[in-house]
Amino acid sequence: MEIYPPKNAVKFLRWFCREDYVEEIEGDLTEIFEKDYKVSQRKASWKFIFSVIKYFRPGFIKSFKSDYQPNHQAMFRHNLLLTYRNFKRYKSSFLINLIGLSTGLACTFLIYLWVSDELNVDRFNSKDNRLFRAMEHRVRATGIWTSPTTPGPLAEALTGDMPEVEHAITATWSQSTTLSLGDKNITTDGRFVGKDFFNMFSYELIAGDANQVLKDKNSIVISDVLARKLFNTTENLIGKAIDYQHESQLQITGIFKSMPVNASDQFEFVASFEKYREGEDWLLSWGNTGTQTLVLLKPGVDVNAFNKKIADYIKVKTNNEITYRTLFLKGYADNYLYGKYENGVLVGGRITYVKLFSIIAVFILLIACINFMNLSTARASRRVKEVGIKKAIGAGRKALIFQYIGESMVMSFLSLLVAMVLVYIFLSQFNIITGKHLSFELDSNRILLFLGVTVFTGIVAGSYPALYLSGFNPATVLKGKLSSSFGELMARKGLVVFQFAISVLFIVSVVVVYKQIEFVQSTNLGYNKNNLVYFNLSGALSKTENQEIMIEEMKKIPGIENVSSTNHNLTGHNGGTSGVEWEGKNPEDRTEFERMIGNYDLIETLGIQMAEGRSFSRNFGTDSSAIIFNQKGIDFMGMKDPIGKVVKLWGEDRHIIGVVNDFHYESLHENFKPVFFILDPNRTYRIMARITAGKEKETISSIESLYKKLNPGFLFEYNFLDTVYQSQYENEQRVAILSKYFAGLAILISCLGLFGLAAFTAERRLKEMGIRKVLGSSELGIVYLLSSDFTKIVFVAIVIALPISYFMARYWLDGFAFSVPLQPWYFIAVGVLAMVIAWLTVGTQAIRAARVNPTLCLKNE
Amino acid sequence: MIQHTLGEFEELVLLMVAALHDEAYGVVILENLEEKLDRKVNISAVHVALKRLTDKGFLKSRYGGITTDRGGRRKKYYSVTALGKRMLDEQYSLRTSLYKQIPKISFS
Repeated sequence: MEIYPPKNAVKFLRWFCREDYVEEIEGDLTEIFEKDYKVSQRKASWKFIFSVIKYFRPGFIKSFKSDYQPNHQAMFRHNLLLTYRNFKRYKSSFLINLIGLSTGLACTFLIYLWVSDELNVDRFNSKDNRLFRAMEHRVRATGIWTSPTTPGPLAEALTGDMPEVEHAITATWSQSTTLSLGDKNITTDGRFVGKDFFNMFSYELIAGDANQVLKDKNSIVISDVLARKLFNTTENLIGKAIDYQHESQLQITGIFKSMPVNASDQFEFVASFEKYREGEDWLLSWGNTGTQTLVLLKPGVDVNAFNKKIADYIKVKTNNEITYRTLFLKGYADNYLYGKYENGVLVGGRITYVKLFSIIAVFILLIACINFMNLSTARASRRVKEVGIKKAIGAGRKALIFQYIGESMVMSFLSLLVAMVLVYIFLSQFNIITGKHLSFELDSNRILLFLGVTVFTGIVAGSYPALYLSGFNPATVLKGKLSSSFGELMARKGLVVFQFAISVLFIVSVVVVYKQIEFVQSTNLGYNKNNLVYFNLSGALSKTENQEIMIEEMKKIPGIENVSSTNHNLTGHNGGTSGVEWEGKNPEDRTEFERMIGNYDLIETLGIQMAEGRSFSRNFGTDSSAIIFNQKGIDFMGMKDPIGKVVKLWGEDRHIIGVVNDFHYESLHENFKPVFFILDPNRTYRIMARITAGKEKETISSIESLYKKLNPGFLFEYNFLDTVYQSQYENEQRVAILSKYFAGLAILISCLGLFGLAAFTAERRLKEMGIRKVLGSSELGIVYLLSSDFTKIVFVAIVIALPISYFMARYWLDGFAFSVPLQPWYFIAVGVLAMVIAWLTVGTQAIRAARVNPTLCLKNE
Repeated sequence: MIQHTLGEFEELVLLMVAALHDEAYGVVILENLEEKLDRKVNISAVHVALKRLTDKGFLKSRYGGITTDRGGRRKKYYSVTALGKRMLDEQYSLRTSLYKQIPKISFS
């Protein structure tokens, strides 16, 4: 009878015991066990187990370090050498990988620089987390409108009523201003702010004390840059006087260092808000808004709780008179990225673009990684013998994985170097496109991030080949059998499909964005934006009689077709009022009508078409009490036959003399809104003139000399309406240009990968092609044979990508109230384009294979 | 040369190996010890002692032939080295000389 000691105990013993002891110990234990077994089976077993456990102690446990102690340094050198030889031997795949990975990395780094810069805008303030801007949600008939303008008395009231508030100030937005010192006139941007401005913001004062500089009504604090422009120095300027708008003198009380470029508010001087308040009675009312209120909360105050507290502050302050305005505080720096409200709900803003480009960066890098994976696995057949032999002489799987990951690491670090050079070269170009001042300074964070991304890329790119190659069974591969399983082929094809789908997606985006921009530029705005010059009236010209003289004089200039004055610039919301009342108006309705205050000829100068009635005319003496609406305004009021009807504007009767066609005064993101025109030259401060095409230069210089004559001491600054109009779509333009480049890169990298795969397939099937040719196959047949596979793959990619791209395009275009219709040919064209590019890539290789001389390729085995 | 010491149990095992002369392997040593000492000894203790003695150079070992017994495991035979013999001699003479110094009086 055969008897065996307890199996598990033996297993355990064999597992832990030193190899040189295990034979003796197991033998002795078994012998004892056999003897004991005759007495009692149970006892023998227990004794055996017990004894085995007793051996489980340091003297007998084997060292679990592998006996095989590789020489790491030598292995490392060996791997490097193999990597180097591989790169040298397969130059084309090396180049494809290098180009792909380095452009991928360069893209990622550029986008990273841009994203991190975007995220840091306005974050330079040391009290950033306590710094807020007061905003208002205003309920209107068309929905909730969110505005950064707040009433004038708010800041003082908040400081007085709310113990949570450390400082609160009223401030204006930056505006162009003429400062002068003697004969020297400088036009620069500046703003009026409350006295605690420098206690709240981290603008560094070179001279002056933060508590004192804005105390006096006539004080002004200028930037060092402005100081150098005016005085050529920044020393000893305190107490010096400069002329403000040739109206009054301001005393310099401090000098601040120019703000960082990533501040959203850029200005060269600040003056006391008390100065601005002079004579501006509207600032005393809670009903009027027009300035901003900046708030610094005390440390530890929860802003959400505070917002609840101040929500109906305006209602309380106006004794329930104004009930539709909800006050809240918003992080000062948050506004830059999260500035878009829809119906009172935050819906994003620039953050959308930040996210979009981050995703693009990841995808481009991924496409480059896929190239590496595909080429490495496709070329695996060349290396199976290497793997087989290595395994046969004892290389563990781990060592092989290490080798291949190492190889891709070397690749990605080489790419890192190339990428750094690329970033360095293209950074200035990238800055121009994005309108940024990015610099390529390496601090420890960036170095860590770049290294991290590189290592990550190396691992992602190398993981699949490493696992795949190291998994070969040495016995079969050395026999020369390597059949790619169905799964592997699918994986490789799937990766190509993914690459091409992404590329197609990018191309469709570019087409749609470009089409939309073209649409924006060519669409009929309802007025003629070309050759329309405008300039603001300041100084002596802000007086109405001088303004009239200016207009009259300008009419005499030969190149000017028409001229008028207005309060509006036609590129965005300028000022609205809910003060229009008509018969049947819902008293709860507070919809604001855009107000266009103008002089005679305004509608004609702009080229807005009349739908009904007439425009303002000097032939009628009563036009100062007339009003003109746009079509939307009339529709909104629900009027029929509006001409001659009377509406109330700010309590005064005005009769409707005309209706103009709707026109776009805001960007095409916005729908048409109600607008009215009134005639009131006293309240216009901007002259608009239509210039004859081709005579811009001489006409502008004539206007300039006229301006200087009538308004000495001020610089003539003018704008063309169409350039300002373009700037409304700056974001879209940038997205368009950037996505053009990124789409180009994506398709380039994808094609490189496809090229590599095609070249490889052609090379491997060279003998097959030779035999086919010998047997009479035509060149065309071979080309077809080789390219049909890839055609299918790319076709699948296109089929997958087009619907996705359609929904993305739809979503983006929905952000515009007026958008170009999505036409099927955009998608078809992109699909065909992708297909053609793929064919060209594969075709070159297929033709090369088809042209092969069969005697050459079949000659040697 | 390091002066090696012997523990009590080690000395017993060494003596046993010497006594068994060429026939000494784990189980035989164990059984003889148990018989002489008249107490249970665990085989692991014997093995520990054998390893230590081998490390100290008092024992050397060789494998026996393959048999079907013992689950096919070979026996490991131990024999005393010259150094081990000298150690035993020294111990013996030390003990006898000390023993001889005991005065001939009765112990009660």
